Amino acid sequence: MDRRAFREGFPLFVPAIPFGLVIGVAAMTSQMPAAGGWLTSVVIFGGASQLATVTLAGTASIWAVMLAALVINSRHLMYSAALSSTFSRQPRWFAVLGPFVLIDQVFALMATKTHLEPTEFRRYYITVGLFFYLTWILVVSVGMMLGPVIPVSWRLDVAPALMFTGLVVLAIDRSPALVAAIVGGSVAYLGINLPERLGIVAGAVAGVAAGGVAEMIAMRRGER
Amino acid sequence: MNIMETVLVLGVIAIGTYVARAVPILMLAGRVLPVPVQLALRNVGPAVLSALIVVSISTSSFSPGIQVAEVVALVVAGIVARWRRNLIWATGAGLVALWIGLWLF
Repeated sequence: MDRRAFREGFPLFVPAIPFGLVIGVAAMTSQMPAAGGWLTSVVIFGGASQLATVTLAGTASIWAVMLAALVINSRHLMYSAALSSTFSRQPRWFAVLGPFVLIDQVFALMATKTHLEPTEFRRYYITVGLFFYLTWILVVSVGMMLGPVIPVSWRLDVAPALMFTGLVVLAIDRSPALVAAIVGGSVAYLGINLPERLGIVAGAVAGVAAGGVAEMIAMRRGER
Repeated sequence: MNIMETVLVLGVIAIGTYVARAVPILMLAGRVLPVPVQLALRNVGPAVLSALIVVSISTSSFSPGIQVAEVVALVVAGIVARWRRNLIWATGAGLVALWIGLWLF
């Protein structure tokens, strides 16, 4: 275990605590069995996709649920690609197991640690990865315990949308991201009456495509 | 959603997520993703999450359509997120705005 990894990882985990609690609460109001809601933390381990899964479960087709979660997690391809050269110096077992915990925060920390010696990098990665994984499961479990005692009139069913709004706002740092958000939301709204909540998929695909086009335009104009 | 569907959904998402996290590490070995793919992946978060916001609010079990109080709550959450750069503040402020909005409208 690497003490520095704890010290540097903890501040990144604190903001994720309310997110985990909301997922726990949402899991208890989901139409997915409670055990399934809890297992999203264990087998998926990705906040936004977990929240999408438990929120959509039972109200959208299972294909729409799976597609929405997988599209959300497709950004991890970039994290993995960015660390691939660093992992090429690691043993095979670590290259196979390590990516399971490659979430946003772990990537943010590890992207600044690629200069470390392979053994040091591995120890740091395992420490932050396990720390985030185990504490995340704990926080979601606490949220699930709190869920049933919170009155329905508090309208915590809106909390996931509020949290998503915060995430979107924080993610909009450049004009292509704004274009992706506007197009994604607008197309989803236009497709609100589509069966099985396919409006989400339509909005996601349209938003990603629009964001990609905006990126190309921005690149040509010299925006970073 | 029954148990079989839950197992299927969790299994597919878990495997798909692992593939997204692992395949470039295991297969690329230092090479990079094609530029169009990189550009498309950059804005997955804003695109998908905004679609989720619209659909989850529009199809809330509490009321058909979108309530004024819900829109106010989303706007407040967005403003506070931009101001404080903090999800706890954003969600808390949004909930307070929702409660006030439900009381007023």
